[in-house]
Amino acid sequence: MRDLELTGKTEPLRRETELRQVMVHLRRNRAAMAGLVVLAIFLFCAVFAPLLTPYDPTGTDLSRALEKPSGEHLLGTDELGRDVFARILYGSRISLAIGLISVAIGMLIGVPLGAISGYYGGKFDLFMQRIIDILIAFPGILLAIVIVAILGTGVGNVMIAVGIASIPIYTRLVRGSVLSVKEEGYVAAAKALGLGDLRIIVRHIMPNCMGPIIVQSTFQIATAILWAAGLGFLGLGAQPPDPEWGAMLSKGRHYIRVAHHLTTYPGLAILLLVLGFNLLGDGLRDALDPKSRNSR
Amino acid sequence: MRKYLFVLLALALAVGVFAYGCAPPEPEPEPDPDEVVDVEQDLVVAIGAEPENLDPLKMMSAPAATVAEHMVENLIYLDVDGEMQPALAESWEAAEDGMSWYLYLREGVQFHDGTPFNAEAVKYNLDRFLGVDDPDSAAVFAFLLGEVSEVEVVDEYTVQIHLENPFAPIVSHLSHSFIGMHSPDSLEALDEDEFAEAPVGTGPFTFASWDRGNEIVMERNDDYWGEVPQLDSVTFKFVPEGSSRVIMLETGEVHAIMAVPPTDIDRLEGEPEIDVVHQTSVRVLYLGFNMEEEVFEDVRVRQALNYAVDKNAIIDTLFQGVGEPSTAPIVPAIFGYKQVGPYEYDQDRARELLEEAGYGDGLEVELYHPTGRYPQDDTVVEAVQAMLAEVGVDARLTTYDWGTYLDTVIVTPDEAEHDIYMLGWGTVTLDADYGLYALFHSTQWPPYGNNVSYYADDEVDALLDEARITPERDVREDLYHQIIEILWEDAPWIFLHDEGQVNAVRSNVEGLIHHPLENLSAWDAWIE
Repeated sequence: MRDLELTGKTEPLRRETELRQVMVHLRRNRAAMAGLVVLAIFLFCAVFAPLLTPYDPTGTDLSRALEKPSGEHLLGTDELGRDVFARILYGSRISLAIGLISVAIGMLIGVPLGAISGYYGGKFDLFMQRIIDILIAFPGILLAIVIVAILGTGVGNVMIAVGIASIPIYTRLVRGSVLSVKEEGYVAAAKALGLGDLRIIVRHIMPNCMGPIIVQSTFQIATAILWAAGLGFLGLGAQPPDPEWGAMLSKGRHYIRVAHHLTTYPGLAILLLVLGFNLLGDGLRDALDPKSRNSR
Repeated sequence: MRKYLFVLLALALAVGVFAYGCAPPEPEPEPDPDEVVDVEQDLVVAIGAEPENLDPLKMMSAPAATVAEHMVENLIYLDVDGEMQPALAESWEAAEDGMSWYLYLREGVQFHDGTPFNAEAVKYNLDRFLGVDDPDSAAVFAFLLGEVSEVEVVDEYTVQIHLENPFAPIVSHLSHSFIGMHSPDSLEALDEDEFAEAPVGTGPFTFASWDRGNEIVMERNDDYWGEVPQLDSVTFKFVPEGSSRVIMLETGEVHAIMAVPPTDIDRLEGEPEIDVVHQTSVRVLYLGFNMEEEVFEDVRVRQALNYAVDKNAIIDTLFQGVGEPSTAPIVPAIFGYKQVGPYEYDQDRARELLEEAGYGDGLEVELYHPTGRYPQDDTVVEAVQAMLAEVGVDARLTTYDWGTYLDTVIVTPDEAEHDIYMLGWGTVTLDADYGLYALFHSTQWPPYGNNVSYYADDEVDALLDEARITPERDVREDLYHQIIEILWEDAPWIFLHDEGQVNAVRSNVEGLIHHPLENLSAWDAWIE
């Protein structure tokens, strides 16, 4: 027990150096930094949207419909005279929220399931993995569509649907990591010391699985945002008048011949945000992997 | 090494795809000037919504009528100018007492399945429509023949229609597309749930196929009793999105489209290969209240919402000026019309009325609407949503495609989930009875009627009943004026606009009929 407490004390120090190493490495990766900057900008826009534009994202002005971008309306107006720039700014709130919350849902359910499944193995694992097989057999977006069809449309239900659709990814990932980590000597040591399973999983196994989970989550947020935009495009996501990017694309495509700015800019917003998460994810993967870190 | 190989492969693939895309099209064989070039006479038309059904008992919409009238004919045909023309009935006359009508049928006509068309067939069709054997199985539109007591076969080619009262609009009602004459054999099969989608009529085209969600194909009827069409086939494709219809027209995938999106009108008018056709319509568009909902029992709330909507802005912006704000529950071209509106746009008045009614703090409503059925339907609803929000009414939108939508809103009050619904109504008989009786008489509640607002007013009922059976035209007209005044004050709808039709046709297509009833008819058409 004394030994354990000792490691407990030294852990923060070790972690700090680990974190520092990761940060140093990440900072050297230009692409990842670019991604981080893009994300920071979007986050800033989402938080301070009301300060960045005087317009109400749902306020219509039919007399000024379908105006081209101008000094007054930076990115023009849509078919109901709403300011496209304002809608994109406020839309980033919806997209970021969907991305983060749905991934949190997926993680909260998927990670424990994977950990238990991998740690105990046996029949539970077999049973669990078959269920996951079934879920994986559906393409994620299709599964999300099915779930939204059951739950009904709306931003909240999209979060739940995309969250559920990303459970199997986490379960598989964590199970794999746990399977390899649980064979390590220190786990055997902990077991020999008579520690409870829960404690072993939470304190000794999970910290060593965090790398892949963080990397996967970064990519998964990007995927979730894309799926949500897809659902919005199909009319299953955010409902009018919410300024959701996918829904904006869907409405805007009717006017693509006369007012391309209705599709171009929401499309660019989706592209940039997803790209940002993906670049960051790439960088994190390299930074969190000791092998690739040492090789440079 | 493997990486380079991969890059090389990817490059090769990209170049290949690009080269394929750029390859010059196969040179077309030079047309031989001596040879008469036969253009394929297969016409394709894109419309927004799919017929919900082609069984006369279940037909409910103009798209269904548009398709059906190519295969199934009526006794009487209402032409583009609003005149009654002989179709399967060569002539008709009222009995002296006005209590019955004689129809003299065209001789020598056969249904597509070879069954002869005669008085028995007419009786069979009308009896089925009325639900004579089983009132529960009457057509949704059975009210069209509401005053008919009996259909009598006088001889092989004469039918006498007996009335309970001297029912003034009977002749125009017989021209309604939903009272088409089907082969009795096919109807029997239909009632046993066979051939549910293959109408067998006497029309210039015969049914070929129906690919649900995609298209209906009809072929020329070479044995047609009238002038046989020049077209080999007519196909109606269902394309809910206006912009997609336009692109299909421009690429030549289809020859004609209905309901051009307003933003495309100017551009299409500039294209030499395409003719844009403007036509009036007999349709009004409205947002009806579910008056069984407590909040809409209060006339002040209903009026408030009428004041809250800027109809002019909708017409000017979303329709580029095509159409007019509604001035009555029916359009001006209809017999019985009286101008009583429009409700002016007055947000202060709307807020005041809501305040008086006890909804000063706002109000939440469920608004159901179709998409692809009416021009700009979903955009109009979004505009209205924003306008209502300004007076404190929070409208939540629910969108359905046409077929699902009808099933969702044409239901009994108990089953209704909507507070407000969007529908349009074309008074296709050009007589106010059809526009007002069907939508406001208390006997016409769904599921067997079209009074989707569940409107019930004793005075209106009495006036509608009286107007139906009054033979004198000016007295009838006056009755309808009274009804319209009451309805306007009572505001069972948010009165939106009178539609205008804009269709577009490739310029090598001639002879299409663009009907004010919102039908596009191809029997006289050909492709040059």
